[in-house]
Amino acid sequence: MTGRSHVVERIMLVGDPASPRVLGTRPSLADSVFRRTAYAAGAITVSVMLAVGLFLTLRATDALRVAGFGFLTEQQWSPETGHFGVAAVLFGTVTIGLVALCTALPLALGTALLLSEVARGRLRSTLVALVDLMAAVPSIVFGLWGVFFLQDNVIPVARWISTYFWWIPIFDVTDDSGATLTEDSAFTSSAFIAGIVVGLMIVPTMTSVMREAFSQAPIGEREGALALGATRWGMIRTVVLPFGRGGIIGGTMLGLGRALGETIAVYMIISPIFTINWQLLKSGSNSVSALIALRYGEASDFALSALMAAGLVLFLVTLVINFTASSIVARSRSGAQSEG
Amino acid sequence: MNRTARAISAALLAVAVGVGVLPASAGPASAASYIPITGTGSTWSQNALDQWRKNVAANYGMTVNYSGVGSSAGRRDFIAGTVDFAVSEIPFQSSPEDGSAPEIPPRGYAYMPIVAGGTAFMYNLKISGKRVTNLRLSGEVITKIFTGAITKWNDPAVQKDNPGLAMPDKTITPVVRSDGSGTSAQFTLWMSKQFPGIWKAGLRSQFPTPPGGKAQNGSLGVAGYVSQDYGEGAITYVEYSYALKSGFPVAKVLNAQGYYIEPTANSVAVALLSAGINSDLTQNLDNVYSSGDKRAYPLSSYSYMIIPTEVGGIFTEEKGATLGAFTRYMLCEGQQQAPALGYSPLPMNLVQAGSDQIKRIPGAGSQGIDFTSCNNPTFKAGDSPSSNRLASSAPQPADCDKVGTSQCTTGTAGATQETPVSGTGTGGKANTSPDAGASGGDTGGEVQYDENGTPIGGGVTGASAVSKPFTVEDQGMGPTQWLMVAAGGLFFAAVLLPPFLSRRMRESAKK
Amino acid sequence: MSDTLLEAPPAPASAPRGARRTTVPDRVGETGERRRLHRATFEERFDLIGAAAAGLATSTLLFGWIAPLTGVVGWIVVSYLAFLGYYVLLTALVGDRQRIADRVATVLLVSAGAILFGALVFVVVFALLRGRDAFWHLNFFTQSMELAGPLDPLTEGGILHAIVGTLIQITIALAITIPLGIATAVFLNEVGGRFARFVRTIVDAMTALPSIVAGLFIYAAVIQLVTHQRSGFAAALAITVMMLPIVIRAADVVLRLVPGNLREASYALGAGRWRTVWGVVLPTARSGLVTAVILGTARGIGETSPVLLTSGVTAVLSFNPFSGPMISLPLQVFDFVRSPEPTMIARGFGTAAVLLMLVLVLFGIARVIGGRPPGQLSPRQQQRAQEASRRDADRMARRAAPVTASSTAPSESPAPVPHEKADPS
Repeated sequence: MTGRSHVVERIMLVGDPASPRVLGTRPSLADSVFRRTAYAAGAITVSVMLAVGLFLTLRATDALRVAGFGFLTEQQWSPETGHFGVAAVLFGTVTIGLVALCTALPLALGTALLLSEVARGRLRSTLVALVDLMAAVPSIVFGLWGVFFLQDNVIPVARWISTYFWWIPIFDVTDDSGATLTEDSAFTSSAFIAGIVVGLMIVPTMTSVMREAFSQAPIGEREGALALGATRWGMIRTVVLPFGRGGIIGGTMLGLGRALGETIAVYMIISPIFTINWQLLKSGSNSVSALIALRYGEASDFALSALMAAGLVLFLVTLVINFTASSIVARSRSGAQSEG
Repeated sequence: MNRTARAISAALLAVAVGVGVLPASAGPASAASYIPITGTGSTWSQNALDQWRKNVAANYGMTVNYSGVGSSAGRRDFIAGTVDFAVSEIPFQSSPEDGSAPEIPPRGYAYMPIVAGGTAFMYNLKISGKRVTNLRLSGEVITKIFTGAITKWNDPAVQKDNPGLAMPDKTITPVVRSDGSGTSAQFTLWMSKQFPGIWKAGLRSQFPTPPGGKAQNGSLGVAGYVSQDYGEGAITYVEYSYALKSGFPVAKVLNAQGYYIEPTANSVAVALLSAGINSDLTQNLDNVYSSGDKRAYPLSSYSYMIIPTEVGGIFTEEKGATLGAFTRYMLCEGQQQAPALGYSPLPMNLVQAGSDQIKRIPGAGSQGIDFTSCNNPTFKAGDSPSSNRLASSAPQPADCDKVGTSQCTTGTAGATQETPVSGTGTGGKANTSPDAGASGGDTGGEVQYDENGTPIGGGVTGASAVSKPFTVEDQGMGPTQWLMVAAGGLFFAAVLLPPFLSRRMRESAKK
Repeated sequence: MSDTLLEAPPAPASAPRGARRTTVPDRVGETGERRRLHRATFEERFDLIGAAAAGLATSTLLFGWIAPLTGVVGWIVVSYLAFLGYYVLLTALVGDRQRIADRVATVLLVSAGAILFGALVFVVVFALLRGRDAFWHLNFFTQSMELAGPLDPLTEGGILHAIVGTLIQITIALAITIPLGIATAVFLNEVGGRFARFVRTIVDAMTALPSIVAGLFIYAAVIQLVTHQRSGFAAALAITVMMLPIVIRAADVVLRLVPGNLREASYALGAGRWRTVWGVVLPTARSGLVTAVILGTARGIGETSPVLLTSGVTAVLSFNPFSGPMISLPLQVFDFVRSPEPTMIARGFGTAAVLLMLVLVLFGIARVIGGRPPGQLSPRQQQRAQEASRRDADRMARRAAPVTASSTAPSESPAPVPHEKADPS
């Protein structure tokens, strides 16, 4: 804020009427220091991140050399015998992530719009603070809640879904021979339950990012829409949502990232299995980070290397997802101001 | 006021101990000179170590940090020299199965027994709506359950163990640990020694999930699963204390002398009187599994502390003095609280073995444990490993616990209520186990229910409890259902039509 | 956004029929009702209440008599769906499709919020209820677990050591993350270039780094190679590795939202890059940056897995992050709930409650410090801004004095200098 007087000063200096203006950048000392500092910050960040990636790769090579390409197709996880791969684990991770997104996205979008467009005054600031607070609820609390409360109450819902929607393959619950299962224990510890818990966990993060983006929608366009007779929803649909698309995607990716990497809550809920389980509601799933948390304690050096390799694969998957997201965000209008 | 009193009593205790239990270390290891020591390892022993850590901190001003990160992680930390001691259920693996580098610590080390316990089988089973609290299982049946060979509670082999119960036609859900754990290691070691024909996977701290089974993380996870409503029909292996605290029963396991025994502190300690120690100081439990004592619980085991015998890593001689004092405390005074914590006190033979190892800790002094003043509950001054207080005073099993047609109706572990005789065998009463918790589970309902929740009149016999899975599809579309659909349709029409019509009328009026 | 109350366009019936060209609508005759955007009319409320009552009645009827349905969850779902249906019907009685969409959307938004807050509050209340036994003992906050074991009652021992550990670890992590993270975000937005795109790619990729891998990395790279012991500092580093990409990414999103014309205005006034960033971009984005940091902190403070491998477990109060283990609240929760002892489990939930309270306080402070959006100044700030602009005007006047000889008195009332430069309208 103190820079204002300086700004004015510079205008006076530049405005020398005698000679033509030089249109080039002549960075001042402050600017070149700033540039270098910013570069250095970027470089440090990248080197830290690359160190993690490099380290993961290095530690994973031992295991990858043994497993070879089969690491991606093998479902079993038994480094002791040399048969290990991430197919089933990764599948479980993605399943849980998708269920979490399906739970979280409508809630987050609705809540973010509610906070930025509907709620006002004190109520809004309270709710905003509450959302931020919720983002900090330790995942272990969610895990305990999921195990001791939610699981018991979700079982009837899961059973209901599988009873009436069994014709959709992912909602069917059968045993190996194809017979339909209806007892409670068939519905416990499923990807469905873990996904719901993880979904609730990532909603606050997503809401926060989305709300921030929505609240930046240009007021000129908002009022213009309203003045033209748009209803509030019409205004949201035509102004706020297109403008906030970057925020929606950014928030969703942030949430998905957390969902895929979530450890403790998943670890407490699922019953880990090492086969691909298409049946969402059926007991048994797995996730890479839960696998790491479960196995590192009793892992030998080689098994640890295999776990690192699993971490690396998860990392690459999220890399791809994030690339897609970033390219969408880059093309969105977020950040552009009101035209005219 | 209170604080001063506590400080004074702590000081007094410290003095008393300095004079009594720790005469050898009185020189270098006075209360003021204790250096904080750190250890990692077994989650199984954590409860005990937490309590001991507190006790030595309160009484002697010793700081002991212990982190239950898992046995293998503990052994790795010990090799890396980042801890002063480690706790593990299995020794260093000289040739790990996966072909990775053998675990060879760069410094000298020794194994010292620290805490014993039995692997208990906690279950959630109801017959006619009443909780079963007196289930009995033989070792072979247990092994078959956890390998998926026996899948129903009314399997003839299970029925044979339980003549007094009419076993229901319900699926057994074996619940195992999903994380690596010492409990799994102890259980699999027992199965691999006793039933190598059925259990072929050897010692595994990572239990392979049996078909139809569930894997849950941590003792809390498995015990939590079994104790939920949806856990009916489930059985898991867990520390005895979890069953005790959650109000659930544990299975009595058949020992070599033909008695079904509950894993109480005494029955485990009695079994461990037969524990042998190999030349490399590792445990040899073969005699424990087939103990000649009819009071012995066969699945008894103990965990080691891995102690350094050379200075190196972060371990120094000053720390050795602290470690020495701490280990002496553990083997004597600390064992007093083992039963309350859900473990079993170490019997004299193992304390003697531990005492020899303490002498090898650098800086711990050259004397081990003074057996005349050691306050271990299983022996008193003048006892010998073959004749001691435990061996002479542990209660004998009741006759109804013997293999045969009778079955004790007394509850086990946390579930103290009796189970009525429902099978063909006769009942009987056992002397109530002294350390079964007062926290009774449910008291059993008055009305009896069958598996589908329908009240029945009672008088269930042997195999009459029939399983009938709950199905919806078989209701079909009869006249009643069609009527319902019609009623629903009419109802919605009554709701929907007026606004629709009024709108139509309004629009046409506008035009 | 101001409380916008707009006049509805005149009803089409009042416009002269047949007039095809654009005219200023005359106000003669009937003017529509004043449109209210933010407050429900009596009629709307009546619709809501009526629909809710009808929905409840319908589902009760269905569950009780007509259909073979059971279960509380099903009842709630059916009630809600029926409520929505009735609400649409009631709105359809008076409004057009636009209006129905608006009303239904509003109801859906409110329901999403209600479900979310309901569920989250329930999770928290669940933790508080389970932890209430431990929570009400003062010693829980003033003692460490050094002198309390699993068998001791709740009146002994506490989690002071974990509170201190969490505060120290998160402080170290923030001390690294905030400058580095915001500087990197600024670099991405204000400096740009090919390298910046590369950095952004890397950071984007890292936001999804599994937190346990961050822990593994620090364990193998720092603990095994350098320090040879678990410590609070190692834990702080693991938290940093996890938080950094989150903070950068969230900050990047907000900085991107700073209107370009503000930057252009600043450059046009002759400010350099640094001045623009420091004087325009950062203040404009301040509230968003605080949110970014809060999001990162929230994640870092509540996550167990990075500290699982790095901080070590201790029951002793420690103020030294560089030597010896130092436990934090989430790890303490994890450690407590693994115990079979009910008192320890109660302590675990109590600890989770304390963690929540701590976070609440920290966030409150953060919001007070940096939460006010740009352009909204407190009275004192406004006063200060006015003073500053007066000083500027004085100085400009003084500077101008030698150039224009016949100067007016410099004490004349100054021309207003716009200060609320970030007002987007």
